[in-house]
Amino acid sequence: MFSKERNFALLLVSPGLLVLLITTTFPLVYLVWSSFQTINLGMPFLNGFAGLENYRQMLGDADFWFSLKLTGIYTFSTVFLQLVFGLGLALLVTQIPSGQWVFRIVAILPIVLAPVVVGLFWRTIMLAPEFGILDFVVRALGFGAVNWLGAPIPALVSVIVIHTWQWTPFAFLVLLASLAALPPDVYEAAKIDRANAFQRFFYITLPLIRTAVVIVIIMRSMIALSAFAAIFAATRGGPGTATEILNLYAYKTSFIELNFGYGSALAVALLVITLFVSGVLFHMRNARRG
Amino acid sequence: MATARHRSSALRRNILLFATAILVLVVWAFPIIWAVIVSLKSEKEVLAYPPRVIFEPTFQNYLDAIFGGLSIAPSLVTSLIIATATTVLTIIIAVPAAYTFARLDLRGKKWLGFYTLATQMVPPVGLVIPYFLILNKIGWLDSYQGMITVYLTFSLPFAIWLMVSYMEDIPREMEEAALLDRANRFETLWYVILPQVRGGIAVTVIFIFLNAWNEFLFAVQLGGNTVRPVTVAMYNFISVEQTLWAKLSAAALVAMLPTIIIGIVAQKWIVKGLTVGAIKGGGRL
Repeated sequence: MFSKERNFALLLVSPGLLVLLITTTFPLVYLVWSSFQTINLGMPFLNGFAGLENYRQMLGDADFWFSLKLTGIYTFSTVFLQLVFGLGLALLVTQIPSGQWVFRIVAILPIVLAPVVVGLFWRTIMLAPEFGILDFVVRALGFGAVNWLGAPIPALVSVIVIHTWQWTPFAFLVLLASLAALPPDVYEAAKIDRANAFQRFFYITLPLIRTAVVIVIIMRSMIALSAFAAIFAATRGGPGTATEILNLYAYKTSFIELNFGYGSALAVALLVITLFVSGVLFHMRNARRG
Repeated sequence: MATARHRSSALRRNILLFATAILVLVVWAFPIIWAVIVSLKSEKEVLAYPPRVIFEPTFQNYLDAIFGGLSIAPSLVTSLIIATATTVLTIIIAVPAAYTFARLDLRGKKWLGFYTLATQMVPPVGLVIPYFLILNKIGWLDSYQGMITVYLTFSLPFAIWLMVSYMEDIPREMEEAALLDRANRFETLWYVILPQVRGGIAVTVIFIFLNAWNEFLFAVQLGGNTVRPVTVAMYNFISVEQTLWAKLSAAALVAMLPTIIIGIVAQKWIVKGLTVGAIKGGGRL
């Protein structure tokens, strides 16, 4: 009976595992292997085993460290902003007695758009100097001309805003759903005990939705760490390298400079960072639970 | 007195609440509404300064985007083929695997589950580089089979985990009753479990389809002239010399129409998928 169940279980699960092994694990092994090679499609005569050369180059590469810094800034600020705005809005909308569905519908819109389309919209009709509507409004309000995607700091701020615009609805919807699932009688009791709004939030609401908050942080961090299309469409990592997070740097090194060996090493670094961050976040979640 | 003051402060609070709420709706909807407006302008009108809200609307951009020389119609077909094939393949492979993870006894199941979850964390840039080299070697660049294979890397782990969480919600008594009636394991899965998780399968289908439709990095780097998904076709309207804003807006809205419709119609299910996924830790959207 038991061995029969095990055979059946194996039969059901093995196609999935086999496909995962072939489609994700094998390419990753290949990636690690190429990170120890010189693979330059522009100069193929140089190709061959490179040992740790790519990694040695990486440690001394100022562009790498800069892109790492940008990745940190980008990830931290987008996740932070999504969480603050998402939670704030969720708290606000729960107070609205009817018509919450309007918010849920509108919140879905940014989420279902392709990030590349979002990046292109912002680059052209929203932020383009003079003709972009947002740029026009900012000028009309007398804040002066800002070259949003053409100057380093405004460009970095812009790509952070774009990501936050698109994905805050995610945090909002998840937190709205978890707020809706809270038992109302806890609040009644707190009100009777004369707890004020801040006390109710920090001592009742926040502990009750902590799991959802932590999950939102984990998922949004993973997505921010793999962000590509919106930045690619809006700035291509520029001006210069002002918005070139590690993703775009690894991409550019491989597909523009055709240096696949070094590009692979950069991607391996990204992979290690992503796994490390997810490991830390999951550990935090499990530790807090217990 | 006290109640009157109380009432007026409550009123002020409600007005503030309402104003903030409206502002939020505008911020989220505005880029899309503005794209609709721009898409109805002529390319000349688009570059009028200051931007005009009152103008003579034209549908020419939509006709150009669909039937013109830079038409995205072939790319729409390509995206439909890839997204559909990815979805069907993923469901066929993921549902049985999810059943094992949720219900069956298997040695090393926990470790295998962790492995599946870990494959989902891989940033796409880490895959597009080796895939370019591998597909180049076996001649699968710019091919449907290549693109669908690559799309399985993000759809499969996600689908397995989403389906596991739906299957775990089914009461065990239902299976036990079926097994007592001498149904075998396969019959139990087919007649008892599957009908119970129809909703979960629908949510999973929606998510995979949207993700596959919207994907860009693999599409732009591993596709080509034969396989050119619609996200890449947006660049038809962008060249070094100029960007055709109105046509780009029209094309983007046409390309995003399926996802916007799915989003609005299936809004409830998507939110459910996000929250279920959020608790179990899935989801690329």
